[in-house]
Amino acid sequence: MTSRQFLLVVALVQGVLLAALVVLIILNRWFRLRRSARLKPRRAAVDDAMRRWAAEATPLSGVLIALARLPAPLAIDALVGWSARVPGERWRELAAALEHQWWARLVRANSSSARWWKRLECARFLSVGASPSDVARLVRLINDPHAAVHVAAVASLERMESTPMTLAALERLPQLAPTVQAYYAGMLRRSRPVVIQHLLKRLRRTDDPGLARFAEFAVRLAEPALRERMTALADHQDLEVRIQVARALGSFPHRESVTALTRMGADAAWEVRAQAARALGMIADATTLSLVCGLVRDPVWWVRLRAALALMRFGAAGRNALLEIEIGADAEARNVAQMILGLPAQALAEFAA
Amino acid sequence: MNVFGGVIHGTDLAILIYFLFLNSFYALLLLLSIPEIWEQTRLAEDDDFQRLMQSDALPPITLLVPAYNESATIESSVTAMLTLEYRSYEVVVVNDGSKDATIDRLRHAFDLYEVPRIYPETIPTKPLRAVYRSRTRSRLLVLDKENGGKADSLNAAINASRFPLVMAVDADTLIEPDALLRLTRPFLLGRKIAAVGGTVRVANNCTVKDGRVTDARVPRNLLAGIQVVEYLRAFLFGRLGWNRLGGNLIISGAFGLFRKDYVAAIGGYQTTSIVEDLDLVVRLHRYLRGLRIRYEMPFIPDPVAWTEVPESAKILARQRERWHRGLIAATWQYKGMLFNPRYGPVGFLAMPFYVFGEMLAPLIELFGWVVTVGGLTTGYVDTSFALLFVLVAWGYGMLLSIWAVVLEEVSFRRYRRFGDLLLLLLYASLENFGYRQCTVWWRLKAFVSVWKHKHVWGEMTRKGFATPSK
Repeated sequence: MTSRQFLLVVALVQGVLLAALVVLIILNRWFRLRRSARLKPRRAAVDDAMRRWAAEATPLSGVLIALARLPAPLAIDALVGWSARVPGERWRELAAALEHQWWARLVRANSSSARWWKRLECARFLSVGASPSDVARLVRLINDPHAAVHVAAVASLERMESTPMTLAALERLPQLAPTVQAYYAGMLRRSRPVVIQHLLKRLRRTDDPGLARFAEFAVRLAEPALRERMTALADHQDLEVRIQVARALGSFPHRESVTALTRMGADAAWEVRAQAARALGMIADATTLSLVCGLVRDPVWWVRLRAALALMRFGAAGRNALLEIEIGADAEARNVAQMILGLPAQALAEFAA
Repeated sequence: MNVFGGVIHGTDLAILIYFLFLNSFYALLLLLSIPEIWEQTRLAEDDDFQRLMQSDALPPITLLVPAYNESATIESSVTAMLTLEYRSYEVVVVNDGSKDATIDRLRHAFDLYEVPRIYPETIPTKPLRAVYRSRTRSRLLVLDKENGGKADSLNAAINASRFPLVMAVDADTLIEPDALLRLTRPFLLGRKIAAVGGTVRVANNCTVKDGRVTDARVPRNLLAGIQVVEYLRAFLFGRLGWNRLGGNLIISGAFGLFRKDYVAAIGGYQTTSIVEDLDLVVRLHRYLRGLRIRYEMPFIPDPVAWTEVPESAKILARQRERWHRGLIAATWQYKGMLFNPRYGPVGFLAMPFYVFGEMLAPLIELFGWVVTVGGLTTGYVDTSFALLFVLVAWGYGMLLSIWAVVLEEVSFRRYRRFGDLLLLLLYASLENFGYRQCTVWWRLKAFVSVWKHKHVWGEMTRKGFATPSK
């Protein structure tokens, strides 16, 4: 083939492709417009049926019929959208009724599909429409290798209490990235009793590589039953564990917490000192005022900031201490005191968070 | 004569091979963009924003907003940024020694009061004049500093930022309300993200209300319209394709989210660079690859920010010349990464592509034209063959542009009107007739500027967002 013939072939192929693409664009637009025109009234019918059912004006069957007329992804969207607006008891009634719907059975069957997007669809559905018979399915989805799938599946814990599901999520927790952990933690809050029991066990294993992550989760729960175990970890050799313990102890106003935090205020790592200062501010025990004042003069800026913010939580005594620091000899402490005293209440709350 | 003829034929062959090689690579990007956009669209459709908004898992973000002579729009754009749908974020606006009333506008609009600067100067910057907080908007922090350029302002904002993720946003960029939520998706999927970029779209002729694009329209102005297609092509298939190759070299300076610790570790934005976004991303790759840290720098298509593009050839020429000057400077500065196995796909794919396929492309194209014209006048090149070659080259360019329109149409469909769709197709077809040749010329001028050691930004005059033409 000569180069001229080659170019001719390329030009011809290009021409065909160009024409095909233009036709594809126009057909796609036309098809979507038609589809949207067809589905819009059906979606509106679902919303209308849901509204009336939520107000107890019509029976559940109206909702089920309207949902069945929508394609599964749109029906799932509608369910996810409405799940936050319908009271729990009534929603459970709907979830139970959905078990017998043909389209919901098809969606459930996708829980073991080889395609991640099918499993994701199933996980999304089960996050709002699961019933007790779905536990095994959900445990499998929580252990799914695809992040989007297990993140969607774990949301089912918001609505369903199940020990196997909670334990599956908890076991996965230490291996997850920090943002995903935080999301999991939010979902696990509802299953508190199971979570606390499991955490108490895990926090006892001081050589557990996932200890810092469990300690971090314990901070989020702020559960008094965990105080003793967390206090016992105050001198742990792992820096991350000590940071989490310092954070957690602020939620437990107890004599032992204050003693541990006083010790942590002198920790070699500035991150621990900063968290200890914050926690001491949360407890606001008058006996620790001078310690927190001392931390405002810490060489590390973050510790000074946390300590100054903590002083604002000590009420008038803390404020007076800051005013004294503001005219004191330490220039850096003076600066931080001046800034904190100048902050409006809203900014203070945000900084302290 | 025979030697001359041999040179002409040899050069023609070399250009044909270059053309084939480059276009095959574009075809690869095009193919790779298909599964990528499909996956991204699926994930975007399945995001549960209601649940995410209530979750405290979302990583806190600092928006870095450099402002230089933005008094006309600063109030509305900062207000729009302060009302984004995101739980935990702050906005750090840096007045970069503006000569107009930017700082006064901010002071009055947000009831600013001065606070001492007590955070450490992690990255050195031009001296700060003052630090302000707002009595009405606790999320807002305003820095007033001496003029030092965009990169210097961004560094000052990084120093003042409190959160682990930072996002550089131009003061005149309109961010969609849910853009931050969408941009954090890879973090929620547990990926090891160093930086993530979103789509920048053209706002000319769109309806803008309270700093938000309420109706997306395609501009009627030819230059702006063609840039819509260019932006679609660059974002929807270029960067999506690069996602799969693991070597995204550009995260738009107008809309990109970065991990602050990494940015601080490489000394922030380089003030001497004219394209600070490209420079930052290349240095991040170099730093992270050098330390063998596992990371990703993906591009996500559904978070959107809107920006105004030049409608006059003079301003567009300046912009393109500056971009290319920056590309030349960056590729020269980081030439050590080229074909260096230490940098993986960045060294073996992205850098060579940017050097040979982007940076040198205008020179090769000019050379091709000169040789072809020379060959035609001396009779060594057949006229019909030359015309066929030009036709194929243009046809391929058109095909790529129309493909970008296809991706937009099957995924996000921002332009709802049928007329706008037809306009997009028209602009995609017209791009190769005149516009493309102009961009080649503007980019060639960049080589001259580099030769003369010219280091200027060039003024970017903006028309401002207005009501669309009917």
